[in-house]
Parts: sequence; structure tokens; C-alpha cells
Amino acid sequence: MTIEETLQKYKEDFDLFMTPNEKMEYIFDLGKKHTTLPEEEKNDDTFIVGCASPAWLVGECKDGKLILRGEGTSEMAKGMLTLLLDIFSDKEVDEVLAFDPQRLGELGIVELLSPVRQQSLEAFIKKVYAYAQQCKENEK
Amino acid sequence: MSKVLEIKDIHAKIGEKEILKGLNLDLEPGKVHAIMGPNGAGKSTLSKTIVGHYDVEVTEGEILYKGKSILDMEPEERALEGIFLSFQHPVEIPGVNNAYFLRTALNAKRKHEGKEELNAAEFLREMKKYLEMLGMKADMISRSLNEGFSGGEKKRNEILQMLILEPDVIILDEIDSGLDIDALRAVSEGINLMKDGKRSFLVITHYSRILDYIKPDYIHVLKDGRIIKTAGPELVAQLEEHGYESIVEEA
Repeated sequence: MTIEETLQKYKEDFDLFMTPNEKMEYIFDLGKKHTTLPEEEKNDDTFIVGCASPAWLVGECKDGKLILRGEGTSEMAKGMLTLLLDIFSDKEVDEVLAFDPQRLGELGIVELLSPVRQQSLEAFIKKVYAYAQQCKENEK
Repeated sequence: MSKVLEIKDIHAKIGEKEILKGLNLDLEPGKVHAIMGPNGAGKSTLSKTIVGHYDVEVTEGEILYKGKSILDMEPEERALEGIFLSFQHPVEIPGVNNAYFLRTALNAKRKHEGKEELNAAEFLREMKKYLEMLGMKADMISRSLNEGFSGGEKKRNEILQMLILEPDVIILDEIDSGLDIDALRAVSEGINLMKDGKRSFLVITHYSRILDYIKPDYIHVLKDGRIIKTAGPELVAQLEEHGYESIVEEA
């Protein structure tokens, strides 16, 4: 699936819920499929600076695609990471770089996040773009 | 002939009163069995006995489900194994969201069957599909279980549970009581949708109208705690015309 398709899939999912609480619960629900990172990969390089709770993101380039793996510590972070990794990982690097992060607003959940969490989201996206940029430069 | 449920010489009482007095009944896979009988014959007690309701004490006899005795099993174990009862009078449970209730029940069953649990979105997709089919309003998702539901809504909600849980033996205790024609049709369509040649139905009713929709294979007449006659659907016409007294004379 492309970023666009994955985003649409989640938009449809979130549209199913009528109340903000239900949407938030769905995020927690997604967190049940949250994966972890081996200890040695949790370091200063992978630490997401600016996240409300400690979180790490590993980015690798493979055949023109950006592969992401991450780990969050709070329930919220686990859910959001699962969602965001699904959207951004295993995608064409060019697609990641061309994607306007404002469009995550279409999910109808960003406004439900506290200001601190919104900052975390920004910090995450920044790191994703940094990894994608790296992949692009390595290609040259 | 294979049987999915075998009820053998069941004696059961509620309180001190013996209601089922040596009842025998076999359900065949893929068949619709209708139970008809006068008031107080033991129809609801029969359904309660099969699911293990705490009101009922079985004093004698045996019930085998898929060849295994279920009398020592808790009601929830029987449900997990695939036995479903739609209540004659569904209870209202304020504070318990309908969708939560159903998803929890479904995921318990899926877990029991070794399947992956459905997340909230996956579940709601399923639920919405059936809501539409049953002509139920979308707010049924977030309302409390049966609280303030009309009679028709409660019965449709029972059918919704049945559709989602996909049981193997379906007991419908007067699912048609208090339903208007539209609700009866919607409920019947839900039931017909579940017919897959394997599931068995036990339809307890007073009226022949629902049987016009869901076409039973067998009619059993229950009177005074025992099945006194079993015949094909043609028996309905006789009952309508001559009443239960005519059957007693034959038996």
C-alpha cells in the first residue's frame, strides 16, 4: 500500500467512531500490535528528541524504500507509533519526502492530542524525514 | 442420522416445581426445529435448560452437544462452544455500551477458537453491515445495551448478536413476540441469513406467522413438560385449526 492508501484506510477506520473517546481507544487498540526494539538500538541516535515519553525510531533504506522500526513507552505512544509506522514504513523514499505531513490532520485525531503530544508527533515526523533525506543522499 | 444436540429424558425443575418431565428431543445439523405448545408447557424452561440458566435444576437425564455432555458446563462455556439463546425478554444493562458488549463477547469466542481478536474498527465494520441489514439505527452502536430500546429493537439486537457471534446451535425463545410486520421480516431475514446447511435452529413460538418466513423442517409439540408429537411443517395448519387439544388426543 502507498502512504495515500494507508492514510485513507485509517481515515475510514477513524470515521467509524462517533466520539473522541472511541477514536482514542482505537489508537490504544492499535498499540496492542506495537513492536519493540532490541536494547542496543535504543540509543542517542534513534531517540526521538521532543517526544513526551521516551521513544526511539530506527530508519533504514532498502531498494529505494524507507524501512522504519520504533518503540514507544507510553500507551499513547505505542498506539501512535503503530499507526504512524504503518503509514510511513516500507514506502518509497520519494513518496515519504513528497508527503505533506499536514495531511495527517485528515485522520481527525491530531486535534484530539494534547499540545505536548502534538509536539511529539512533529518530532516523530521530523525524524522520519531526516531518515528519508539520508536515504536520498546515500543514493547519490 | 447425525445430531448436533441430543436431549435425553430430561427432568428439570424451577424452584420445587418440576417443569420438564422426561423430555426427549434431537436437533439435526442444518435443520430448523420449531417448538410449539400451550402456555406453561415448559418451552422457556427447555431453552433455559439447554443454556444452563441458574433458575433451572436438572434432576435427571442428559444433554449431549456434538456428542459431549454439557450439563456440568457453565453457561458461558456453552456459549463459547457455540450455543446461543436469544432471550424472550432481553435484559437492559445501563452503562454497558452495546458495541463494547458485543465486541467483548465476540473476541472471547474468537480467542476460544484460537482466532485473532478483532480491533474496534474491524468490529464496527462488521456491526454496521448487519445494523443496516436489520434496519437498525446507527446509534445502536453507542447506546447502552437494550436500555430504552423498544420491543422490536431489543429483538433485532438479539438477532444482531446472533449474526455476529455465528453460533452453531441457535435457540430463539419467542423471538417473534411483540414484533410488528417489518420487524418480524427483518428478524426472519437475519435468521435465514444464518442458515448454512450446518447450523441448527430451535424456534420457540406461539404463532405460525414467523414459520411462514423461516420454514421449519420439524414441528415439535411440547405439552406438560414433554414432546408429545413431532411432524413436518404441515402440522402447523392442524394446530392453527384444531388447537393443541387435538394433538393430545392423538398422542
